[in-house]
Amino acid sequence: MSNVNKNILRGIILLSYVLIIAVVVYGIAAIFSYLNTGADRSTILHAEVKQVEHYSPEINWAPLANEGRLMDKENLKAIEEDYLDAWYVRHIAYMNNSMDGVSDFYTESARVNISNIISTNSKNNTYIEATTLAHNLILEFFSEDGQLAVITDNNVIEYKRIFNAEKLVAEVNEKSTYKVTLLLEDGFWRIRHLVRVKSENYAINPDTNQNLVSEIKGINYYPQNTPWDMYGDSFNENIINKDLEIIRNAGLNSIRIFVPYKSFGKSNVSKDKLEKLIKVLDIAQSHNLKVLITLFDFYGDYSVIDWTLTQQHAKSIIHALKSHKALLGWDIKNEPDLDFDNRTESLVLAWLDKMIDYVRLQDSNHPITIGWSKTESAELLADKLDFVSYHYYDNEDKLLEKYKGLKVKLKEKPVVISEYGMSSYNGLWNPFGHSDKDQAEYHESMQAIFSENEIQFMSWTLYDFPKIPKEVVGRLPWRKNAQKHYGFIDENGVKKPSFNFISK
Amino acid sequence: MSLKPFYISLITIVLIFTCLNIKEDKSRYTLVTKTKVYNAGDIITLEFDFNGDSDVILYCSNTYGSLILKPEIGNTLKFVIPEILSIKSGILNWELLSDSELNSGQIKIHPKNEISEIETYIGPPSIEAGGNDYTMVVALPTDKLDNPLIDGTKVSVKHQFLEIEERDMISTKHGYGYKNLYSYQKSGRMLINTECLGLNSKEFDINIVPAIPTNFTISTDRVHNYADGNQITTFRTSTIKDRYNNIVSDGTFVSFFITNKDGYKTETSGATINGVATAKVLHPDRAEEWDVKAYIEGIANSDIITISYEKAITDFKVSFSKNNRTVTVGPLQSFMNQYIPNGLNVTLKLFKKGNFEDKITAQSVDGFATFKLKKDRFPKGYYTIEIEVAGIKKSFTKISYE
Repeated sequence: MSNVNKNILRGIILLSYVLIIAVVVYGIAAIFSYLNTGADRSTILHAEVKQVEHYSPEINWAPLANEGRLMDKENLKAIEEDYLDAWYVRHIAYMNNSMDGVSDFYTESARVNISNIISTNSKNNTYIEATTLAHNLILEFFSEDGQLAVITDNNVIEYKRIFNAEKLVAEVNEKSTYKVTLLLEDGFWRIRHLVRVKSENYAINPDTNQNLVSEIKGINYYPQNTPWDMYGDSFNENIINKDLEIIRNAGLNSIRIFVPYKSFGKSNVSKDKLEKLIKVLDIAQSHNLKVLITLFDFYGDYSVIDWTLTQQHAKSIIHALKSHKALLGWDIKNEPDLDFDNRTESLVLAWLDKMIDYVRLQDSNHPITIGWSKTESAELLADKLDFVSYHYYDNEDKLLEKYKGLKVKLKEKPVVISEYGMSSYNGLWNPFGHSDKDQAEYHESMQAIFSENEIQFMSWTLYDFPKIPKEVVGRLPWRKNAQKHYGFIDENGVKKPSFNFISK
Repeated sequence: MSLKPFYISLITIVLIFTCLNIKEDKSRYTLVTKTKVYNAGDIITLEFDFNGDSDVILYCSNTYGSLILKPEIGNTLKFVIPEILSIKSGILNWELLSDSELNSGQIKIHPKNEISEIETYIGPPSIEAGGNDYTMVVALPTDKLDNPLIDGTKVSVKHQFLEIEERDMISTKHGYGYKNLYSYQKSGRMLINTECLGLNSKEFDINIVPAIPTNFTISTDRVHNYADGNQITTFRTSTIKDRYNNIVSDGTFVSFFITNKDGYKTETSGATINGVATAKVLHPDRAEEWDVKAYIEGIANSDIITISYEKAITDFKVSFSKNNRTVTVGPLQSFMNQYIPNGLNVTLKLFKKGNFEDKITAQSVDGFATFKLKKDRFPKGYYTIEIEVAGIKKSFTKISYE
């Protein structure tokens, strides 16, 4: 008996020995392989050239009629790039109160002026966020040896936010004209002389058209399987075609779709995605639906130095779509008021204000709105918008009171509720949530209010979504699950009771 | 009931506070300073009469940047624009940042009337003679605060060339003035200087280089006209000039193309010094007639000259050794019967039964050339041997080898 026990004991000791050795060997191997991983060898030389677009205000060159040497394309491009970079480094310098990069774009005697101002500002605890949104350049002179150029920069639109002791003390809008003398030094066109010869305050008077929007009966649209990622690899015309047919047959006349800023390529808009977007409008056109385009989805930077890039983005999209018959209008941004806390209200409003002006400059024929997240925000910037739109997810009882209150303040301006809806989720994460029946009742009573008061609406949304990207509502399961069930049609493609009240 | 006095007092307090607030809102600021135009470097102050809040700041921006200023508070609010802004010409914007209505304005700062520096840029540094090409003088006159002087400032551009001394008046626009100085027909060095409001620049110089060459002639130079394959013939151009009679720049490259009577070509070349290029070539080793033409490629050329070389060797002897395997050619004698200098090429060709077998070349040494024909290369049989010296051929048939 004891012999058997002893053997068992031996066996256990032996096995545990083998196990320990195995673990140790595995551990050493893991450390060894960890130490052997790292950067790709090809990156040692830093041979890759990374050029990111960082500053792209509107540039207009007057037809060349300069004195001196005949200008060529390459030199003109070099002058333009370096001149804009000079503005850019100056903005950065005044933002950080540091002279980094300034010496590349200003000659020694010119950069003194900048460093003087920086030292005063940093002593006073002042910093300035600034950008220029448009330059109208005239080449006055190009010297025979190609080393000196003189330009006039007309009507430079400048925007500055001045902070003192971390507090915003002034917002400045100026339109100025500069005379610039540039010298070619060390391969850089550097500013030798800069003189502002004209300057005035700048503001665009809103020139809104309130008659552009009436009788919107619409819905926010994403395909069921690719919500928030409509223009990716799984873009499918047939699905969109079928969906829009359902929407049209349900008696609706418009859809609201979103253009994500980053995945469309930021300032350099991807052609491929733009084509897909146009395709969506083509399909909408074939079903006689109008499309409200919501720009800048998932954009959250707003920093002043980034503005020129957002303008380029808007320009590409607008120019591609502005003559499309299906276009209803431009929703500058979805729920920007949610960014007030993180990015400050004044910054977000300033960006929106400039963007409205810019969009109107690019396309004066289509109405402009902002998709505010709540009724309380809907008055903001209303003067500049062609119609006001906001989202309503509160109790249907208060809708009319709030709507009427807003209407009184906005007078004649059309108002659209561009998102409303109810999630029919009641499960593990919210056992007391609404049922499909509740949802149907909600839509029924909403429709009753809408038709009785002639309220224009766009509901959220056609489908229940099987998957929600984390960027939309975060990772929390009770939020994700609620967001999945706002649809009129469930995950299996069956129309929920609420579908009967999708339009009337 | 007892709450009534409380409500009344509450309302009164609210009313009083609202009044106070309204009063605060009505802080008024009026600009006292009337001057709106200054010269750079002047002390610029903005004075405001005020009643109400003195806790205000002034936004102020010039060409280069923006600042925030705090007032000196007395009976008035006095803002002193700091020197770093007031020394630069251009438009200076200001705005009083207060809770009351917008109060903003503009000051125009002119550059000083006195010049302190005149930056002068000249280029290109060398131009072609003839009056078509030019160099450009750009002048940027600035005051002592580094502001470009006002437009319309007169600048005189002076230059000297040979006996010419001239002065041109230009006036500035956008801060610069420029003048194109055209070349003269003569080449040489032009000295340039600019002057503005009594201030002179340093001296600048540019080179006026000769224009492109025109056609020229060539000549030859040789010790004798015999084709001895030893002496050297020198080709020489005439003095090459441009069309304004300037001698072309040293180093202008000239190629001499030689065509012999069979149409074969060869080339020799040289670069000019003082307008003359020389090039050398070895005499041919047989009677020849050469056509020579020189080119400055793509630009100019000479006429064709013909030179001929006479035979130096009229005849020669050939002797065979006993077994015929050593062939001695010579003595090779030149035009005065002197032994030809070492190095003349002698060729020997062997044919067997009419078929070409081999060609051997030897050079003469002390007037003789020797060929040794080895047994393992040329086995037993009958050969025909042909020898050529300076274009003269001799043939020997049925030379037998054991």
